[in-house]
Amino acid sequence: MFKPKWQAAVAVAGVTALALSGCSSSTTESSSKGGSLTVGTTDKIVSLDPAGSYDNGSLFVMSQVYPFLMNSKPGSATPEPDIATSAKFTNPTTFTVKLKKGLKFANGDKLTSSDVKFSFDRQVSIADPNGPSSLLGNLKSTEAPNPTTVKFHLKTKNDQTWPGVLTSAAGPIVDEQVLSKTKVTSDDKIVAKKAFAGPYQIASYKKNNLVSYKKFDGYKGILGTPKTATVNMKYYSDPTNMKLDVDKGSIDVAYRTLGPTDIESLSKKKNLKIHKGPGGELRYIVFDYNTMPFGAKSDNPDPKKALAVRKAMADSVDRAKIAKQVYKGTYSPVYSAVPSGFLGSAEPMKSMYGDGNGGPDAAKAKKTLKDAGIKTPVKLHIQYNSDHYGASSSDEYAMVKSQLESTGLFKVNLQSTEWDTYQKDRVKDVYPMYQLGWYPDFSDADNYLTPFFLNDKPGQAFLQNHYRSTKMNKLIHAESSEPNKAKRKKDIVAAQKLVAEQLPILPLLQGAQVAVANKDVTGVTLDASFKFRLGTMKK
Amino acid sequence: MSTPLNQVDDPIKDPPTKGKKSGIGLGQYILIRALLIIPTLLILVTLVFFLMRVIGDPITASMGGRLTPAQLHERIHAAGYDRPILVQYFEYMGQLLQGNFGTTISDNQKVTTVLTTYGSATLELVIYSVIVALIVGIPLGMLAAYCRDRWPDAVLRIAAILFYATPVFFAGLLLKLIFSIWLGWLPVSGRANTQDQLILQGVQHPTRIYLIDALRIGDWSAVGDVLQHAILPAIALGFLTAGVFLRLVRTNLIGTLGQDFVESGRSRGVGEFRLVTRHAFRPALGPIITVMGMQIAMMLGGAILTETTFGWEGLGYMISQYLKARDFVAVQGIVVILAVIVAVTNFIVDVIAALIDPRVRY
Repeated sequence: MFKPKWQAAVAVAGVTALALSGCSSSTTESSSKGGSLTVGTTDKIVSLDPAGSYDNGSLFVMSQVYPFLMNSKPGSATPEPDIATSAKFTNPTTFTVKLKKGLKFANGDKLTSSDVKFSFDRQVSIADPNGPSSLLGNLKSTEAPNPTTVKFHLKTKNDQTWPGVLTSAAGPIVDEQVLSKTKVTSDDKIVAKKAFAGPYQIASYKKNNLVSYKKFDGYKGILGTPKTATVNMKYYSDPTNMKLDVDKGSIDVAYRTLGPTDIESLSKKKNLKIHKGPGGELRYIVFDYNTMPFGAKSDNPDPKKALAVRKAMADSVDRAKIAKQVYKGTYSPVYSAVPSGFLGSAEPMKSMYGDGNGGPDAAKAKKTLKDAGIKTPVKLHIQYNSDHYGASSSDEYAMVKSQLESTGLFKVNLQSTEWDTYQKDRVKDVYPMYQLGWYPDFSDADNYLTPFFLNDKPGQAFLQNHYRSTKMNKLIHAESSEPNKAKRKKDIVAAQKLVAEQLPILPLLQGAQVAVANKDVTGVTLDASFKFRLGTMKK
Repeated sequence: MSTPLNQVDDPIKDPPTKGKKSGIGLGQYILIRALLIIPTLLILVTLVFFLMRVIGDPITASMGGRLTPAQLHERIHAAGYDRPILVQYFEYMGQLLQGNFGTTISDNQKVTTVLTTYGSATLELVIYSVIVALIVGIPLGMLAAYCRDRWPDAVLRIAAILFYATPVFFAGLLLKLIFSIWLGWLPVSGRANTQDQLILQGVQHPTRIYLIDALRIGDWSAVGDVLQHAILPAIALGFLTAGVFLRLVRTNLIGTLGQDFVESGRSRGVGEFRLVTRHAFRPALGPIITVMGMQIAMMLGGAILTETTFGWEGLGYMISQYLKARDFVAVQGIVVILAVIVAVTNFIVDVIAALIDPRVRY
């Protein structure tokens, strides 16, 4: 009675074994099948609708499939007209853009100034909690006087960040025939209706799993024609799986975000090449002016002594050592609030503190504290976050503690807190000094100044550390509305110098963009626009 | 005057006892068990609702550190997360009762879409794992019974404990290390390679069970690829249950082998192997079927870790992603569905058990 069942089981097992053995040679998949390129990432897509997402993963997709009014050529971060023929201030509060003629979406819909006005109006009116509408804070209204002209009426004069805003997550142009005016549109609808007009369109879409891009011939912008007709984007939740896949050749490129040890390990592989580019991420310590030692609400308030403590800390940290030992070169030392790669970025802290060349100097720190009449060791409470800025934060701050204590001038109480609590506590002055990180919204030095230090009214800046400087406010207002580049640069440099003098923050590291690619892949472009260019790659 | 022996004083008070049931009937039992599912689910949904609120809101998780506290508060207010928690709870329960699971916060997908898309992947993994558990657990259990109290039995009993006690993520990592990294025989992660996955994404009216979809389009290369990707996750998860089956089969078989009908067969000269595989096996199978139902709950728990370890895009994988994003709508939706599956499975198992053995109802 059992015999036929056992025979069937054996037969099934045999067929399975045959099927598997027949395919055993394909464990390392051929990603070149069909002439395509496969890229891996651990970023996530929140939404394909620009009104519903304000994150790197979604912006990555948008950069490939939507056109922008302003964009930057591969290798550059300078905003230039993308699907526009010109874009400039026609009066101090009006930024006028002239669109190229004959623009179309992949579904055949015409792309006119009406779509542009629709794109910006809906961003402002939907104001989705997950969206980037806050970037359009300076937009008063958008006008479309004729099919190829768009006028942005701004609240403040000569807003020099506006071209940057147009390249940001708030800037993609969408099809008014497809996307909803009043709510975030679903990814499925956008994909099904082919509401794309960037260098690529989405041919197949499984959210946060596998997205296939196909070249869109109707794109007429500055990014040019993609060099590879089909690019597949594979999404990973675990960077280790991505590392293993790029190592085995299952994917051609791994972009964002491999850990430092993974990158170090992959750099030893002969079949792979590590590509590095400037990174906009800034990692820094924030000083709470109220609760830090000698802070305004401490037991012994003294602004001069508080400044001396900050300066002595700046003299004592060895950024290069942290970058090398903790981050294996995937971060680089930074000596200013504005990382390198932006208009006006300088390194004032390099010469002002430590050995004058970026290294630490305990003797100088000792003198700074002694001159201010501070008894040592100074007790510091430093807080860091364990789950928001990567697993290496613990090592980074363990090293900061070690470096500070090795001078004999500080005794550090190092604590970590999970992100949700951390976010709430830091703005309640719970932490005297604490870790933060920052990714720019667009490639402009102002994005490291205005959000941090502009405090026309208390609580305006997101730092919430009670730093307020009239001089700084003036410099920021000046640089952000100065049309003359040379003059603007001067103001940006002056603002950085002021940060170095007053030290509301202590910048430590600047992130590098890293992509690991098979050696036969060319055109991997990592530039200061922080936009990954799928269209430049081929193999 | 004495009462005649055949006369009954009060026939109504002393009815015949034949066929009388001292407890509830099967119908009542099924009804009670079915009704018990409702408070169970209610408690679970309530617990998940409040616990998810305790760990924080998704706006702070994604936007904190980028916006000022005022902007952050504005967005939290716009999303309605600052309303009284009871208002949010009753609103959520109202929606749930209408069958509306809502839209995920972190990636703007309908929860029902998430459930159907990723539930199929979990179902596929669980099916593979049950097959592994049966293929491994039952024959080894029979072998252990056959060799009882000898060294193969001891080895298999230790193996069963190891299968059962090894954390599924650890087993997964170990398998990956050996078969994917060192030997390079099997893929590291995912459900199919990129090209095959693109083919399967394009299938009309997909079941989203990749093996079935690949078979439907007759792409044997895709079938092989899908099976290759399934081997390690299925083993990692299947061995967990295989350990249970092994011990259960062994224990039941040894019990059955001591019964009269087996002894009778033995006295007739039937060989021990034949006794184990033919005569004693079928009666010993009943408890396994019962336990198999309950093991599904355990497998769903194990699937979260297995799917995350192997990048297998099922509900377990997704719930870990949504937890990271503090996406309470998504987590609640997935937990409700998993709870329904477990509750219904246990209900069916209980009913089967009650049908087989009426004593369980009393």
